[in-house]
Amino acid sequence: MLRQTSQLLPALLSRREDAACLEVLDLGPARPETVAYFAGSRCRLHIADLFAELPLAWEQEAPDYAAELAALLPLAPASRLDVVLFWDLFNYLPVEAIQALQAVLRPHLNPGSRAHAFGVHKRSAPENTHHFGILAGDTLALSPRPAAIAGYAPLSQARLQACLSDFRFERSVLLGDGRLELLLLPA
Amino acid sequence: MIGPSIHIKGTVSGDEDLLIQGRVEGSIELGQHTVSVGESGKVTADIRAKTVKIEGEVAGDVSGGEKVIIAKTGRVRGNIVAPRVTLEDGAHFKGSIDMDPGDTPAAKPAPKVAGNLAAGAEGGNPELELKHG
Repeated sequence: MLRQTSQLLPALLSRREDAACLEVLDLGPARPETVAYFAGSRCRLHIADLFAELPLAWEQEAPDYAAELAALLPLAPASRLDVVLFWDLFNYLPVEAIQALQAVLRPHLNPGSRAHAFGVHKRSAPENTHHFGILAGDTLALSPRPAAIAGYAPLSQARLQACLSDFRFERSVLLGDGRLELLLLPA
Repeated sequence: MIGPSIHIKGTVSGDEDLLIQGRVEGSIELGQHTVSVGESGKVTADIRAKTVKIEGEVAGDVSGGEKVIIAKTGRVRGNIVAPRVTLEDGAHFKGSIDMDPGDTPAAKPAPKVAGNLAAGAEGGNPELELKHG
């Protein structure tokens, strides 16, 4: 397991200290580090693992992305998310699916919600081959993916920013390999 | 113990610890005891016990009065409610986890960010923060 420091995690996780019950949506696979990290406080952790659905198997001619994604996300109508962990999911989704995912999440966000994602500065940036977890308030854990994920097709930074109309890029950090780490807030 | 060849449909309840190596469909209620789902166990049921350890497959909601452990061979789809939940590396889980450790000390303050430049991943991975406005 590799460790990666993150300048953005402290801001992402700042509500952990004052939320009565932190509600987190992790769109990656369940990772021991993430469960252990949040086990230290009262919280509800939703683990959806959309990466297990990649490449999207329902890419027929006119897929109903919103309906398919809603079925995959275990959110009750009353769920209000404090933290959303997209990781590098956007690098594997078509624009229509990213927009549908935002539509599914829209009722569950509030002005204090914060989200984390990885994009790319240039589309030629190499593919990440790890799953992510949260090891500490400023450290990510990187574990090798058991199998490669097909369909790596990252959007340019400008295209992703335009596509994520429900969020604004609060902060971003350009990593040495050309990837971007993003802190997103509701627009 | 429910052996590998046993298949139970209905409610399982009792006053002792239970190891499941077979199949159970329905519900399992052992409030003050330990339920262990062995590697060959397949449970399609809600489980309520003091401690639940899962090495096999569970589809259903799991309530642990003390703790729930999903071992590296475990596969769980459902919702978990317990003060403490442990997931071992290799375990598969989809659903929600409600944790309330109760009397654990308050979370540490988030570390301060030193500046715009910081060390990156192990092995050196320089970062440059970009401003948005």
